Amino acid sequence: MNDDSVAGRVLETVTFPIERGKLYELARAFHESSRAWYDDGAAAEAGFDGIPVPPTVTALADHWRPGGALGTALALGLDITRLLHGESSWDYLVPVRAGDQLTATTHITGSTTREGKRGGTMTLIMLETEFTNHCGELAIRRRDTLIETGAPA
Amino acid sequence: MSIIRADALPATPVALAVGDTMPEATVGPLTRTDFVRYAGAGGDLNPVHHDEELARNAGLRSVFAMGMLHAGMLGTRLAGWAGPDNIRSYRVRFTGQVWPGDELTFTGSVTGVDASTATIEMTVVRQTGEAVLKAAAVVRRA
Repeated sequence: MNDDSVAGRVLETVTFPIERGKLYELARAFHESSRAWYDDGAAAEAGFDGIPVPPTVTALADHWRPGGALGTALALGLDITRLLHGESSWDYLVPVRAGDQLTATTHITGSTTREGKRGGTMTLIMLETEFTNHCGELAIRRRDTLIETGAPA
Repeated sequence: MSIIRADALPATPVALAVGDTMPEATVGPLTRTDFVRYAGAGGDLNPVHHDEELARNAGLRSVFAMGMLHAGMLGTRLAGWAGPDNIRSYRVRFTGQVWPGDELTFTGSVTGVDASTATIEMTVVRQTGEAVLKAAAVVRRA
């Protein structure tokens, strides 16, 4: 990271589908047993008007970013071997269902440097991503803090 | 207190009071295959999570889990308790790394309520007792 004038930059916008197959993969990766996470019939039986999504479903956008999940970090010039995820938070405004299409727009909201505990300078980057559904409603707002730890002396 | 099927997913708000605890869950020991499965599912192909040689060359003791793996596991367990549509906000802070062989325990409890919502604080700990993730959520309650 060698650019400290990044705040306010719009990083990218990506549109992606909420697919049942990816929801099944997420459910398996999370060691979840409920079929309602990926099966229309089970979701309907549980009382849902479609297949609901995990709170961290926003990760699926990464498949559609040209640089993948690392695209953001690489675009910022961060060293991926020194990259840590500090914090994430989500606000849920409209429920998301399998079959929806979301558009994610990511902004950099701030960056700061701080002396790391193990020496070297840590860089913190704050990002905000808005996920709008195919009806134009803001469905999810996500905030992230990325940390590039100090380079070894 | 009603009996809920372990794998049922609540579609409507659930009754929650201060001190109520989320059903405790344990996952693991985690393997590199678990990391790779999440890499494929979630799209995080940072090689520090699957390429052992690269991880060691970067000074790490091995590959380690992407934080969104256990943040995701905790999220679906929260949703299994409070209902996916009832979660208003979810916040996670990564406080430690998760390594192959780790066994993770997911716990949470209601720490506050108002007329229509409950605040839930949650932790993910490794078998050593070290917290690897601290989280909080605000959910709609019955």
